Amino acid sequence: MSATEIRGRFDTASFDEDDSDVVVIVGSGPGGGTLAHELCERGIRCVVLEAGPHLTAEDYVQDEWEAFNQMAWLDPRTTSGSFRLAKDFPNLPAWTVKAVGGTATHWAGATPRFKAHEFKTASTYGEVDGASLLDWPISLEDLEPYYDRAEEKMGVTHKGGRPPLPANNNFKVMGNGAAELGYRHIATGPYATNSVPFDGRPATVQDGFNFQGDKQESKWSPLVSELPKAALTGNLDLRASSHVCQITHDARGRADGVLYVDEDGALHRQKARAVCVAGNAIETARLLLLSDSPLFPDGLANSSGQVGRNYMRHLTASVYGSFDKEVHMYRGETMAGVVADESRHDTDRGFAGGYYMQLISLGVPFMAAFVDPGGWGPDFTRIMDDYASTAGMWLVGEDMPQSTNRVTLDGGMTDAHGLPVPHVHFDDHQNDLAMREHAWTQGTKVYEAVGAKNVKRTPPYPSTHNIGTCRMSARPEDGVVNEWGQAHDVPNLFVSDGSQFTTGAAANPTLTIVALGIRQAEHIASEIGRGAL
Amino acid sequence: MATTETGTAATTLTSQASLALLKDVARAMFPHPSFPDAPYEHAVGTIVAAAEADLRVRAQLEQGLRDVDVVGGAPFADLDDAARLDVLRSIEGTAFFEHVRTRLVTGLYDQAPVWDLLGYQGPCPDGNGYLERGFDDLDWLPDPQIEDPAREEIVR
Ligand SMILES: Cc1cc2nc3c(=O)[nH]c(=O)nc-3n(C[C@H](O)[C@H](O)[C@H](O)COP(=O)(O)OP(=O)(O)OC[C@H]3O[C@@H](n4cnc5c(N)ncnc54)[C@H](O)[C@@H]3O)c2cc1C
Repeated sequence: MSATEIRGRFDTASFDEDDSDVVVIVGSGPGGGTLAHELCERGIRCVVLEAGPHLTAEDYVQDEWEAFNQMAWLDPRTTSGSFRLAKDFPNLPAWTVKAVGGTATHWAGATPRFKAHEFKTASTYGEVDGASLLDWPISLEDLEPYYDRAEEKMGVTHKGGRPPLPANNNFKVMGNGAAELGYRHIATGPYATNSVPFDGRPATVQDGFNFQGDKQESKWSPLVSELPKAALTGNLDLRASSHVCQITHDARGRADGVLYVDEDGALHRQKARAVCVAGNAIETARLLLLSDSPLFPDGLANSSGQVGRNYMRHLTASVYGSFDKEVHMYRGETMAGVVADESRHDTDRGFAGGYYMQLISLGVPFMAAFVDPGGWGPDFTRIMDDYASTAGMWLVGEDMPQSTNRVTLDGGMTDAHGLPVPHVHFDDHQNDLAMREHAWTQGTKVYEAVGAKNVKRTPPYPSTHNIGTCRMSARPEDGVVNEWGQAHDVPNLFVSDGSQFTTGAAANPTLTIVALGIRQAEHIASEIGRGAL
Repeated sequence: MATTETGTAATTLTSQASLALLKDVARAMFPHPSFPDAPYEHAVGTIVAAAEADLRVRAQLEQGLRDVDVVGGAPFADLDDAARLDVLRSIEGTAFFEHVRTRLVTGLYDQAPVWDLLGYQGPCPDGNGYLERGFDDLDWLPDPQIEDPAREEIVR
C-alpha cells in the first residue's frame, strides 16, 4: 500500500478555542466518530477531542503484545468485587484503546442486532432478584431504520447484498460441531470487515490480526470511514492526544465547554454549544464524576445518582477444544463465525436472556496470558503444546445490570495528569453464573461432537464490552439520559457511547452504538435547527 | 549450596549458578519437553535484567532461589520432575513464585522460536495474510454453512 492510499491519514480544519458554536465530542471511537460524521455532513462544525495519538495502518504492528502496548488504554484502573478479573487482572478490568478510532481499531467486527425483547427486559424477564432491570425508552422498531443505516456505513456482511466471509479453519470446527449438536443458526456473520471491496477499502487478506490495528484497512473503524469522511466536509477539527479532564458549565447549569490537556501537558479550554461524551463506559462515567461543581456536587448530570452505576460487561467466557488433527485457528478473520441458537430468551435453561457462541482465536502470546489465568505446570503446558490443533469460541451474553456494579473515582490513585483513576466494582449476578455454566457446557458439547480430546473452559478476558454507566431512562430518577442520549439534568450534554444502554442485550454492542449515534445526530441537528441548542 | 570462593557469588542473581537455577525453575513451572533451553534462558535473562532496577524484586528473587534449593530437602537441580513440581506447589502464591510465573507467562511465549515450536506462524511477511496460505485448508471436516437460511426465526 502506498503512503497516499492510507485512508486513516487525513488532516482536518482547525477552529478557534473561543468558538462557542462548535459541538465538542469527547472520544473518536464508534460513538464519537459516528456522531461527528453525521453532524459534519449536516453542516454542524465539530471539535473531536481524542486522548490517544493519531496512528494509522503504517504504524500498526502485527504482534500481540507490541500492538497492545502501543494502543491499549494503559492508565491504571482499580477493581473490586467477586468477578474473577479482580483477581486475574486487578489493574486491567477492561481492554479499550486510546487512539484515534477508539477501541474499534482493535475490535473484530461481530455485529448482531438487539432483539425486540432485549429493549423490554423489565417487562419480559420480570422481577430478577438483585437486578436493576429497566425497559429502554425506545423499542427495536424505533432503532431498525438506524440499524439499516449503520450496517451500510460499516459494510456489514450478509446485509445489503454483501456476501458472507468464507469459512476459515476455526469456523469449520465450530460450525460442524454446532450442526452435529442440532444447532441451526450458524453463519460467518454479520461481520463488519469487507468480504469484497467496499467503500473504497479492500477485501480482507485473512491475516488474522483482527484484535490489532488493520494494516489493510479492510476492517471497519471510524479511523478509516467516518472520520476521513467528516474531514472532507471541512466541518471537523480532530485533535489527537487531547485528554478531556473536565466539562464546564455556566451559571444556569448548561455545559459551555471542556478543559483538556494536550500532549505537552498544557491545559486548554474549548468552548462549545453542546458537549457529547463518548469515552467508553468507564471513562465516560469518570469524566462526569470528575466534572462536579457546587451546582452538581455529585458529578455532572448525576442528580439521579445513577452515573457510574449498572456497569455491565457481558457474560463472556471462552471454550478451547483441542483435536488430533491441525486447526491453525489464528489464520483468517478472528471472529467471523456465530452460532445464534442460544441467543433466545428461554428460562427453561435456568436463566433469563441469551448468549451467542462466536469464533475466537488468540496467537500464542495472548493464549498463554488468557487461556488459564494463574495457570502453570503440566496442565497448562499441555494446552499450549496443543496450540496448532486447537479451536476456539467466545461466549457473549446478556449480563444483569446491578446498581452496585459501578464505576467510581478511586480515592487513592491518580493518573499521569493527576486525575483520580476509575475504580470498577463488579459482582457476578446469579443469572450471569448460571448462563456462563450453561454456555461452557454447550460449548464443550460443540467441540466434543467433532472429536475434541481436551476442552478448556476459559474465564472472562479484560472487558472489551463496557456499557450501562449512564443509562437511558424514561424517568429522570431512573437514569442519566433520555431516549436521545441527552442528559436529563443538562439539556446540551449528551452521552454518545455504550454508557447509554439501559440493559446490555446478548449482542456485541458496537452496531447499536453506531445506530444510536446516527439517531442522536438527527436529534441534535433538529434541536440546533429549531434554536434549542 | 556449597561454600563459594568470594562469598557473594551465591547470592548474586546474575551469577551462572542463579541463572541456571532460575532456568530449571522456569522449566519446571512451564514444562515443554520439546523446547530446548534457549527460550527459557532468554525469558529468565529478561526477568533478571529487569530485577536489577528494583531492589525489592531482586531481594525476593534471591530469597526465592534459596528457598527452592532447600524446601525439597535437596538442591533443586538434584530433584526429579515430580519433586520439582512439589517444591513449586509448596511455594505457590509467594511473591517470588508469582513474580516469576507472571513474567514467564508473557516472556516465555512472546518469542518467535517458541511460536515455531508450537506451530503458530504469526504475521505473514508480504502483507498477503493467509488468503493463499491455508486460512481454509482444514480438510478433516466438511464445509459448514456460512449463511443461516432460517435467520429470520432467531434474529428479532
Ligand atoms: C479485542 C476487541 C474485540 C472487539 N470485538 C468486537 C466485536 O466483534 N463486535 C463489537 O460489537 N464490539 C467489539 N469490541 C468492542 C468495541 O471495540 C467497542 O464496543 C467500541 O469500540 C465502543 O465504541 P465507543 O466509541 O463507545 O468507545 P471507544 O471505541 O473505546 O472510543 C472511546 C475513545 O474515547 C477516548 N477517550 C476516553 N476518555 C477520554 C477523555 N477523557 N478525553 C479524550 N478522549 C477520551 C479513548 O481514547 C477512545 O479512543 C471489541 C473490543 C476489543 C478490545
